[in-house]
Amino acid sequence: MLGLLPAQLPWWLAGPGMGLCVVGLYGLANRRLGVSGAWLAAVVAPIEGWRGERWRVEFLAALAGGALAEGLLSSATRLTGYPVLSAALPAGVLLPLLAGGGLALGYGARWAGGCTSGHGLSGCAAGSPDSLAATATFFSVAVGVTFAGQALSGGAL
Amino acid sequence: MNRGARASTIAVGIAFGFLITGSGFGNYATIHQALLLRGWYLFAVFGSAAAVAAAGLALLRRTGTTRYGGPLRLAYAPARPHHLYGAAIFGARFGLTGTCPGGAVAMVATGGLGGLLVLFGLVGGMWLRGPAERPSATRWG
Repeated sequence: MLGLLPAQLPWWLAGPGMGLCVVGLYGLANRRLGVSGAWLAAVVAPIEGWRGERWRVEFLAALAGGALAEGLLSSATRLTGYPVLSAALPAGVLLPLLAGGGLALGYGARWAGGCTSGHGLSGCAAGSPDSLAATATFFSVAVGVTFAGQALSGGAL
Repeated sequence: MNRGARASTIAVGIAFGFLITGSGFGNYATIHQALLLRGWYLFAVFGSAAAVAAAGLALLRRTGTTRYGGPLRLAYAPARPHHLYGAAIFGARFGLTGTCPGGAVAMVATGGLGGLLVLFGLVGGMWLRGPAERPSATRWG
């Protein structure tokens, strides 16, 4: 928003920095970094009536704070978040698609026991077989679905 | 968890939130281009992140201990069918909405209100999966 940071950080800063986050959380606190586990503990656990681990709740709050800080400092601000999709699809299709997409995202992440950060980054770096299998699966399915979407929409998506 | 561990968790959370937002994980266009195998940026980010994390964890493994959390316990679990089923559903929607649980936070943080809908759905989806997972709610890495 303030334009003090570029819209996109250079990869050699962001990537290794994220890697160090994983190492740091293990090396300091002995925990696996994962965002969907944090959502589970912070929001879903109270709904279901069990206590989520406190560090996960605090981690999610901190994550949101860091994200907001970056959003404020950088020049990348957008209103819908989905310029391409909202141009190609009417709102009556787009909004249910986003909510439904989120639904499957949450369902799948809980079933698999992790998401892009927990399995994809932390678990793979630790060499855990479940994470390697889950990451290979979700990544190849995501690429396949994206290509299928583009083919079916005649290149609009 | 002791104070040192909690403070580290919060510090790492802030840094991670900052970096996923700054690297465009909240930007549909960036993710979409990467999933169409057209943009190399996200692969460079993710690849270097995984490489640094793997190297760092290998070093940690040698010392075998953590600063505030006792003896190191790295994630290790055999691959089971539920990882593949869950990941396939997750991946299908990752492809469709171009965002993940962390990316949606980054999207909202940069003003992308579409991410809010995704987050509502995310919580709902986890809740829907709840009855099947309840006995092993602590299975999470």
